[in-house]
Amino acid sequence: MKQANSWNGKDLRDMFAAGSGWLEKSVAEINAINVFPVPDGDTGTNMLLTLRSVIEEADRASDTSTAVMAKAMSHGALLGARGNSGVILSQIFRGLSKGLDGKETFNGADWAKALAQAAKTAREGLSNPVEGTILTVIRDVSNAALKYAEKNPEDLLGIMEAVVKEAKESVARTPNLLPVLMEAGVVDAGGQGLYILLDGATRYLKGELEELQYKKPQMVSANITAARNVNIVPEEEEEAYGYCTNFLLEGDNLDPEKIRRKLEGKGLSLVVAGDETAVRVHIHTFDPGSILAYATSLGSLHQIQIQNMDDQHIGFKEMQRQKALPADIAVVAVAFGDGMIKVFESLGAVVVKGGQTMNPSVKEILDVVESLNVGKVIILPNNKNIILTAAQIKELTDKKVEMVPSKTIPQGITALLSFNYENSIEENVRVMSEAIKSVKSIEITTAARSTQLNGIKIKQGQAIGIIDDSELVACGDDVTGVLMESLEKGGVASAELVTLYYGADTTPEQAEQSAQTLKEKYPGKQIEVVRGGQPHYFYIVSLE
Amino acid sequence: MVKVVCDSTADIPQEVIDRLNITIVPINVLFGNEVYRDRIDITPEQFYKRLVESKVFPTTSAQSPGYFAELFTSMSKQTDEILLILFSSKISATYESAIQAKSMVGDICKIEIVDSLQTIGALGLVVMRAAEAAKDGAGLAELTDQVKDWCSRAHAYMVFDTLEYLLKGGRIGRAQALLGGLLKITPVLTLRDGIVTPVQRTRSRSQGIETLVNLVKSANKIEGLMIEHASTPDDLELLASKIAEFYPKENIIRSVVSPVIGTHVGPHVLSVSFIEGK
Repeated sequence: MKQANSWNGKDLRDMFAAGSGWLEKSVAEINAINVFPVPDGDTGTNMLLTLRSVIEEADRASDTSTAVMAKAMSHGALLGARGNSGVILSQIFRGLSKGLDGKETFNGADWAKALAQAAKTAREGLSNPVEGTILTVIRDVSNAALKYAEKNPEDLLGIMEAVVKEAKESVARTPNLLPVLMEAGVVDAGGQGLYILLDGATRYLKGELEELQYKKPQMVSANITAARNVNIVPEEEEEAYGYCTNFLLEGDNLDPEKIRRKLEGKGLSLVVAGDETAVRVHIHTFDPGSILAYATSLGSLHQIQIQNMDDQHIGFKEMQRQKALPADIAVVAVAFGDGMIKVFESLGAVVVKGGQTMNPSVKEILDVVESLNVGKVIILPNNKNIILTAAQIKELTDKKVEMVPSKTIPQGITALLSFNYENSIEENVRVMSEAIKSVKSIEITTAARSTQLNGIKIKQGQAIGIIDDSELVACGDDVTGVLMESLEKGGVASAELVTLYYGADTTPEQAEQSAQTLKEKYPGKQIEVVRGGQPHYFYIVSLE
Repeated sequence: MVKVVCDSTADIPQEVIDRLNITIVPINVLFGNEVYRDRIDITPEQFYKRLVESKVFPTTSAQSPGYFAELFTSMSKQTDEILLILFSSKISATYESAIQAKSMVGDICKIEIVDSLQTIGALGLVVMRAAEAAKDGAGLAELTDQVKDWCSRAHAYMVFDTLEYLLKGGRIGRAQALLGGLLKITPVLTLRDGIVTPVQRTRSRSQGIETLVNLVKSANKIEGLMIEHASTPDDLELLASKIAEFYPKENIIRSVVSPVIGTHVGPHVLSVSFIEGK
């Protein structure tokens, strides 16, 4: 263990060299928790590379005075700084160098001041400092150092121990300050790296050389219990809040203790504070009237504020929801088949179940439209028999509702894909309606009865192929044969992309087989097979 | 005369860099621990070949404050006005480095640093225009305001084959919304407020190219246009011929997407950038 009370540049270099070696063992773990500001998983690497440059320059320093060494290290950090964490680290070294300027040796008090300067320099260097990052950790650490140094200005080792302890706690608190960390359930990666660096330096000062060599640093985990108290969206079922009631009571011979006892049980979050002449009251209650009536009997009321917290609560929830939505326009699509519904949902639409044999009612669509937290809705009926139903929604709601008249599922998917996050509802409707024209739909289903259509004789139960939900083009006992014939007549030769949505009555193997046949017949086409799970239709195919 | 500086993601053709005397700050690309300075230690051709073949996934890292400090110091011996136009601070720490370097060097000369919130051709077009204006004698303050205005009207649209690279590089931004779809999507993305933002989902590369063409077509007025590819020169020519149907062919600038951006967008990216008129 180092017993001296005063340290020189060589000590400064060696403690950070040891800290870098300690950090090197945790690079992968630090990289893994890197989510802010860019989740590119390189914070540990960047810090290590920056520190290597620090040590390289330190080794080249012209003498071992503290000031010269600190300056060399700062120069090394600036030259080697990589990524955000490296840049901030370089500012920390710059601050340390400023703080140690002119010093031949340094003691605990000097070190605490240098840390404070480091925290300041790091913060000033950024155009937009963010809390819950390495910046917060270095500030907390420097405060702890100053506090300790006040009583023990000579005890550098003691200061470093206090610093490491505070660093650990500060890192654990970072998710409380930075929502993106909370979301990911991690602590700040840069803060973590700083803690490990300081921990390694302190272990070196304490002479724990074997530990440094054979052990691995312990990662700080998020203090999630403390974190849970903030930034969490209240549950729907949470009990009503009532009114937040706040006033100042003025009078003579007031007894705050008595007032508190009287008001207890009348609400929650009660605060009563004051003296004989003025008492401040704060309470969440369902009956503010009775509270005010009681208070008026004691004196005069001032600065009365009563707020309905349900409003506040709803406002908050609303805000959270809006944050989650990328756009202020929603798309409601009518679809059937579990796979098909998933396809629509994965593309961002809200699905109303229904289709050829079970057209949804006006009310079913309207209910979904009304339930959405956006004021503008585009409806995709995806079936010509539902277009009229969907067209009525517009008149029945205060929301702005438009319909894109998609007659088939492939048309609906194409329209949905062309939905643009940034455009107005009018522009979207125009583009989506235009997009519908670029796709050809082919449906392979079963003939419900024997008949003759388009000059084709059809027996009940046979497979039939229909183009764009209007033109019957093929009929036969072999589903794959009908599929191929329909595709040919639908113009597969000139299509670039063929998507086969296979139905509930078609096995994945059959679908793959069909795709294979298609590939052999039309090489060079992009062919996708997707499970639609739709009843009645063996295949729904889109040609683009 | 104002000296114009930008980073290597601006993808400005070499002959333009030479003619307008633009200073380029290289950004680093790393394969593991091997560090390459963009276009100095590695050419785009070498990079994209390696991107496809290498098992090590590359990463990128911002330029250091020390580099900028040295650059400012040496440039201050030849000029007293420097204008830096850098790629979006939302995707790189390079802008922060430059800001810190400026505070370090003190008053050696006048330095303005603009966060373009853009990259690739959108940044390149702005920088080229700024360098032209500087050559014509524009002052630093006036030019800085102009550059900010041009940045706000610059657009870079890119067609992607896959979002894998954006996801791995941690820069997927708002395009996160496109993940998890059941259909194969060829997305068209842009930088909006400096962040990767989806513009359009298409189903195939040709639809994607068509979308790029339509975005140019629907622009108000075009004040400069650049098209870029990474490893697909034929697609670049296809895009050029489609744009040439309504835009003067000789005004189309061709370039290759910087390895730094290529790390995050993959080897099949195709892009069109332009400054839209007022």
